[in-house]
Amino acid sequence: MEPLTTSLQHVFGFNTFRTGQAAALTALEQGKDTLAILPTGAGKTLIYQLYGYRHPGCVLVISPLLSLMNDQVDRMRINGFRRSAAITSLTSYAERQEILRHLGDYQFLFLSPEMLAQPQMLAQIQRLQLSLLVIDEAHCIVQWGPDFRPEYLLLGAIRTKLQQPLTLMLTATAGETTRQEIAKQLRTRPEIVSESVNRPNIFLDVENVADELEKQARLKRLINQLQRPGVVYFSSKQQATDTALWLHQETGIRAAAYHAGLASEDRFKIQQQFMMGQLDVICATSAFGMGIDKNNVRYVIHYHLPADLESYAQEIGRAGRDGKPSVAILLYAPGDEQLPLALGQSNRPDDETIQRYYARPQQFSEDDPVIQLLAFYRQHGISQVAVTQMFTGRERERNRALAQMMAYARENHCLRERWLAAFDEQSPEHVATCCSPGNTPLDLSALGLIRQQSAVTVAPEREDWVVRLRRLF
Amino acid sequence: MEAMDLLQVLDHQQPRRLRVIENLLRGRRTVSTLYWGQRYHLLPLLDADKHLDRGALTVPAQQLVAANLVTLDSEEDQLLLTPAGQQRQSQVATYYRPQTSGDWLSLDLGAVRQRTLLAVQVTSQYAHSTSRYYPLTTDLATRRIIRQWFHRLKGPQLAETLSVALIQSLQQLPVQTAEAMTDLLTGYQHPGLTVDQVASKQQQTAWEIRLRQRDGLTQIARDARRADHPFHSLLQSLWRSPVTRSAQATLYAVEQGGSLEQVAAQRHVKTNTVKEHLLEAAILSPVAVFPYDQLLPESVRADFATVLNADIDSWQFAQLPEALRARYDFFYFRLYAIWRGRGMMADGTTHN
Repeated sequence: MEPLTTSLQHVFGFNTFRTGQAAALTALEQGKDTLAILPTGAGKTLIYQLYGYRHPGCVLVISPLLSLMNDQVDRMRINGFRRSAAITSLTSYAERQEILRHLGDYQFLFLSPEMLAQPQMLAQIQRLQLSLLVIDEAHCIVQWGPDFRPEYLLLGAIRTKLQQPLTLMLTATAGETTRQEIAKQLRTRPEIVSESVNRPNIFLDVENVADELEKQARLKRLINQLQRPGVVYFSSKQQATDTALWLHQETGIRAAAYHAGLASEDRFKIQQQFMMGQLDVICATSAFGMGIDKNNVRYVIHYHLPADLESYAQEIGRAGRDGKPSVAILLYAPGDEQLPLALGQSNRPDDETIQRYYARPQQFSEDDPVIQLLAFYRQHGISQVAVTQMFTGRERERNRALAQMMAYARENHCLRERWLAAFDEQSPEHVATCCSPGNTPLDLSALGLIRQQSAVTVAPEREDWVVRLRRLF
Repeated sequence: MEAMDLLQVLDHQQPRRLRVIENLLRGRRTVSTLYWGQRYHLLPLLDADKHLDRGALTVPAQQLVAANLVTLDSEEDQLLLTPAGQQRQSQVATYYRPQTSGDWLSLDLGAVRQRTLLAVQVTSQYAHSTSRYYPLTTDLATRRIIRQWFHRLKGPQLAETLSVALIQSLQQLPVQTAEAMTDLLTGYQHPGLTVDQVASKQQQTAWEIRLRQRDGLTQIARDARRADHPFHSLLQSLWRSPVTRSAQATLYAVEQGGSLEQVAAQRHVKTNTVKEHLLEAAILSPVAVFPYDQLLPESVRADFATVLNADIDSWQFAQLPEALRARYDFFYFRLYAIWRGRGMMADGTTHN
């Protein structure tokens, strides 16, 4: 078989791999299941693209983000892998039938975990010759599994039913606990390929504000001062939408909201506008980011406290992919931890509900997502005791993760050290260009991140629609 | 829909049910929704907002009530404009009045939109010799149809022909509609604006922009009926009868003779379904093509005419004299209301 670099040259025209890619591919070529923990933007997709190119059969990619999977297929096609398809719950019946009829022809198949969990689908997949099973965003097994995507918990059993195919687990962030949990869930002892999560060019900052009002004012000031473009993360779709509008009205900045509630056409347009530099800031929920290739994002601001440092690391990782100075700012007001706490609670049934449900499942309406979750576990033969333990354990884990996030917000010495410690990494010595914890003011000019006020320009007269329409063609 | 949009579909004399308007927008084709949609003159909005959440109009309705523009009955369903509401409605002179709504029921506008947007994007990228770009997300069927269309028509003339055709269509509409349509398109180095972005730019509601887009797409589809239009093969098949296929089949069977029960047996459906099909067809077909004389003979009309006045909306089946209710079931009562409502007088002439 040709050397890996020859394949790389053939398919992508590159001469060298980025860090982590070669190690992961080498491990896979040796037939070892591999957990690759590589930062956002490191080119994780290339690993399974190249493996798929080098081996006959189908690469099956399990991905948790429904809205993203069609984008992934488009990107595969752009890279020349035309025999790619995705099936999710959003795929229409007719389209699903069409793909299933030609299932054996695909080189890359993207499935959501809930699709794969369906017995008929699994039976179809069992007939395929799988060259590689890819679990994308593998940290979701831990972060989302018990609360939102119970199907991820079935992946271990599914993998067994698929005769333990060679498996690649991909994630941008996973500390020791998460790594162990991923391996345990998937019933494997993978080779671990990891790069430091540290991003030295991203300056870390925590800012304490007194209340919501002050937080808004601070956000507005920052957005005015900072070099553009940037991303502001929110925990609520409504607040993302309202803030984008407010920022636009208050400052004239080109702002747009992005969240999972948008129609796919709007998501497409806003993503493309951002990529093309037609937007200065995106007000987003966590739905934004995975799969967005934009190198020059100069800042990521968190308006709400994320539930854990892994999500935080993922999201600030969108900044500064070009290696230039960038900043990650967390705005913290007393009591901000209540929101992630409440969001966590709302997904968790109490012990009494679990007991009542298991006693008389037919008396509950499955309109309630919490009941859907319990029904799912019950149908998969998980006992009441085990479910109660699972939720208790999960709650403990979530509280621990939130406490770690809080410790970061309250850190007084070095944010980077606090952050990297959560991923069992050593931090480089603290210096002035590293971070400014809550007790240290942020000096944007020292970082060179102050926006040069452009001379006031009169907005160009908008051209006639006929001229604009003609220019399309 | 915001409060201002809801205001525009209300009346000061005819109480209108919020649930009907909502079901109409969501495309729920029950006889009751269709009947009342026709009574409100809102049928063109059938299926105009498939993704509207249930109850999504409640907040706008409450805002109108709070502003004293509308009254709401005790069951919180029937809305009526107050004098102030009526005044406000007529004051908003700039509110968009669609020009092509007469065709909306006869066109699969959702498909027209998807095909037009993707075909414009593909042609635009092709005109700029780019082959690596992100296509708009559409279903597999649309992608396939566009691919076939593109391979048949691509060539040095395609972009120019298409651009001329689109400009000709949009020139027939108000300038702001042409502006909105252009801004919503996606193409080379032009991601296009979202409906909300166009609305904010034009200082209109998002709903008005959607009405403008419906006008723009309908105009393009109208012009594409000419065989030499570049979109002819793409859009021609999207014209359709507003009556569903199964209702058409029922109507056809009834026209061939036979009682409703016989048709039901023949079509393997319940008699009640036959009646629903016929009512749907009566509401959605032109008056002249529906067999009123067969299904609603002169004698039946005369029986109803003796007890029912001109205020059709106030009629209630339950309040008919018992003898009449024993002779005719709800189907005939409703069919008579449709016939009268569509301008036919008891003597068979129209009054408008």
